[in-house]
Amino acid sequence: MNLPRGDPVYARVVEGAGVALEETLDRGLTGYVLLSPGDALLSRDGDRGVLTFEDGVPVLAYHPATDRGGPPALATLDTPGPVRAELFATPADALARAHEADPLRVPPGRPAERLADDPALAERTRERAPDGRVDGDTDPVAAFLDDDEALAAIREQARDEARERADEWGLTEQLDDGT
Amino acid sequence: MVEALAVASGKGGTGKTTSTLALGMALAEEHDVTVVDADTGMANLLFHAGLADVEVTLHDLLVAETDADVADATYERFGMSVVPCGTSLTDFAAADPERLRAVVADLAADTDVLLLDSPAALGSKSAVLPVVLADRVVIVLQPTIPALSDGLKVQEYARSYGTDGAGVLFNKVHDDRAVERVAEKTDRHFDGPHLATVPDSDAARAARDAGEPLLAHAPDGPAATAFREAADRLAVRDADADAVAERFRSAVVPDPP
Repeated sequence: MNLPRGDPVYARVVEGAGVALEETLDRGLTGYVLLSPGDALLSRDGDRGVLTFEDGVPVLAYHPATDRGGPPALATLDTPGPVRAELFATPADALARAHEADPLRVPPGRPAERLADDPALAERTRERAPDGRVDGDTDPVAAFLDDDEALAAIREQARDEARERADEWGLTEQLDDGT
Repeated sequence: MVEALAVASGKGGTGKTTSTLALGMALAEEHDVTVVDADTGMANLLFHAGLADVEVTLHDLLVAETDADVADATYERFGMSVVPCGTSLTDFAAADPERLRAVVADLAADTDVLLLDSPAALGSKSAVLPVVLADRVVIVLQPTIPALSDGLKVQEYARSYGTDGAGVLFNKVHDDRAVERVAEKTDRHFDGPHLATVPDSDAARAARDAGEPLLAHAPDGPAATAFREAADRLAVRDADADAVAERFRSAVVPDPP
């Protein structure tokens, strides 16, 4: 995803992605937000993800290191603890090209539900979204469970993490190698 | 006969401890049950079981060169054997998670069903050990995206260690219809049966305040009834106690010195 360079309008470590999403909605930001795990000492370059916004409403989600986009990218961005959020403003037409990338799109309320566990913020976001973009009558939880690609991403990430940490904790021999 | 079940969720606030004690009391009607607070960093089972003032807890068994015996930290309450954990962070820091396997092995030799109340997150060795040690894992869910997502992560950790899914329990449910809409889809993604849908209940909070398990405090309420259904569906498996105890003893390769 190629994004135009935006004007920085906000950058801080916040207690969770919900703070950044609320800030973005309240500002009615058109532009993008970079999110990375908040502890700079533990953060790796590959941890960073990007969400784009129109009038404060999320449009795209992308995680460059894994090349995941849309809801699967949200699964990758869902990390516990504080988050470093950087908000950048761009002109609306500067994002038009990027926003043609349908596979990267997320339903407007999904980031607030997925990253912040905040149904009220998700509802406020849906109310702000233009008519063509509302989630419709779909139950967001049911939609999540129908999203096989996003669920596969969660499972794959958890499997990788389990193996990585087993090594760290001396539990490798306890892993079930399928034999 | 013994089977070790971890009760886990991957997310805080889903009511794991209430669930662990409720399943334990329901299973104790037919089995010899031992419940262990394996959430050694954020222990709270002692408050739910009226054991807040006891002197010896799991922490005392996990420190080096301890004089405490497993029996000293085991309390007979509500028809079960209960091993609470203390809440002191200093004790937690001194505790060696490796010792949990030996404690669990001792307990496994002398019970039918071992229930391990597991930590919410999977971010440390002590947090993941209950899932590694258990035969099966009960995943406590709520019908929200983060709870389902974290439940899937727990399931994937469990699968990675060859621990089977015993089923999912929807707990603290405000709106039955929310679960009905997603139960079928949930079945598609989680191992084991949908054990029960437990309604959110003031009785669970009142029970905790009274230092009693829910099934002792409000045995005839809808939440208690749902937990009994879940226990019925768990279908405890037979296993050779000595083999299980041995498995726990050898389960974890100690860290190199």
